Amino acid sequence: VDVSPNGPDGPRSPRPRGSRRPPEGRDRAPGRRPGPPGSNGPDLTALLGQVARGETGAFRELYDQAAGQVLGVARRVIRDPAQSEEVMQEVLLEVWRTAARFDPEAGSATAWIMTLAHRRAVDRVRSAHSAAQRELLAAVAQVDYDDVTEAVERNLEHERVRRCLASLTELQREAVTLAYYRGYTYREVAGLLGIAIGTVKTRMRDGLIRLRDCLGVD
Amino acid sequence: MPDNSNRRWRWLRGLTAAGAGTGAYGGRRGRDADPHTLVGAYAMDAVSDVERAGFEQHLVSCEACRAEVRGLREAAARLAVAAEIRPRAELREQTVAAADLIRQLPPIEPADQAAPSGRRLARHSRTAPAASARGWLPRLAIGSAAVLAAAAVWLGVAMHGAEHQLTMVQGRSHRMAEVLGAPDATMMTHQVSTGGVATVVMSHRAGELLFTAADLRALPHARSYELWLMGPAGTRAAGVLPTPHDGMRGPMLVSGLAPGDEVGLTVERAGGAARPSASPILMLDLGS
Repeated sequence: VDVSPNGPDGPRSPRPRGSRRPPEGRDRAPGRRPGPPGSNGPDLTALLGQVARGETGAFRELYDQAAGQVLGVARRVIRDPAQSEEVMQEVLLEVWRTAARFDPEAGSATAWIMTLAHRRAVDRVRSAHSAAQRELLAAVAQVDYDDVTEAVERNLEHERVRRCLASLTELQREAVTLAYYRGYTYREVAGLLGIAIGTVKTRMRDGLIRLRDCLGVD
Repeated sequence: MPDNSNRRWRWLRGLTAAGAGTGAYGGRRGRDADPHTLVGAYAMDAVSDVERAGFEQHLVSCEACRAEVRGLREAAARLAVAAEIRPRAELREQTVAAADLIRQLPPIEPADQAAPSGRRLARHSRTAPAASARGWLPRLAIGSAAVLAAAAVWLGVAMHGAEHQLTMVQGRSHRMAEVLGAPDATMMTHQVSTGGVATVVMSHRAGELLFTAADLRALPHARSYELWLMGPAGTRAAGVLPTPHDGMRGPMLVSGLAPGDEVGLTVERAGGAARPSASPILMLDLGS
């Protein structure tokens, strides 16, 4: 499950990373998924159009493409497996319901769905628990979390993102992964890292920009 | 196809606008000395609601900022993609089944979108024609785990519609989950005589039920919908339906279910009455 070199628990000593990778770029992942993840997958966009017309078959295909990613981000942020599944289903149903409102001019289908997913996951943890309860739940969930039996998709995207994350400065990487994978606000991240709020904002922005450029997304 | 509520619109525009990286979410204004420094945190939802609203005010007038948000969101989405795990297989058909219960929204500007209007179905009302002679509906898929899971998801969506009340809802969600997961849980759907559809999921074992209603007719300010338990144990007020979100009221958790109870819905003065003063617009036999 872990993508960041720091592990799912946030900052730790950096792990050695793989070398000898081809340059990251816009080449598309071959393999099982018709719509390459994270690309402006025309297939996912087309599927959304069909879903908007109420086509259940297209919804199943969209589910096959997106559900694991939605669940993955929910699980990272929420930790609790049951709640993560709920959020995944809510997000997929929200996609079903609002598919006709997707605007391809404003971003890729993947970004649209993952933004919904992350937002929903973050809403869940922020509204559900005080910070202390959250930590407790995370600690309890951790027992099962690290040796979950569900298969992890070691997709090409996983390796690419891992590699690009490793190209960030340590502070950028920590700021980005704590915010995105753990759902902390920038203020909380500043507290966790013991740095100024203004610095955190800058590191988040610079880190995401570097990630964007490394991944070759628009 | 009536898109019956401005609330629904505002809420969804908020959601989709957030997804598209444009537009204003919510009405609150945030104050930030230099809003643009928040762009990275904003793209990762690492801001408070107030800050988000403030930043989106900023976005409205800043084309370059919207473009930057778009790019950063694409990058952030890759973080999600890379975290992919495999969902349990049974969730797929549960989710598809739940989708069948949810009406899809039309495009914002039909001329720009491909969805033909004729295909949009009012899925909530698909059981309505069966409401005939006695006004009762046969029960739906009693004890069916798939249907109850679908109901759980559906209620989850309904709860999200009330996102500003989410904290309150969360406190009850455990008990709601207990009702939904009870081995004797039963789901019933029935049309409300004045318009709309009510759905009840109940567990006699837990002595509780969940009540939601979709697309009820709007009431004047001086009136409220009030829910009742009626049976051998007497008539008890079970609560006033909350204001609708996204056309949906509830879910309400009702406790203290007694054998032989029926659920009734009446229109009462605002805030509810101690006992029903009007004839029910919905009566549901809960069996025993």
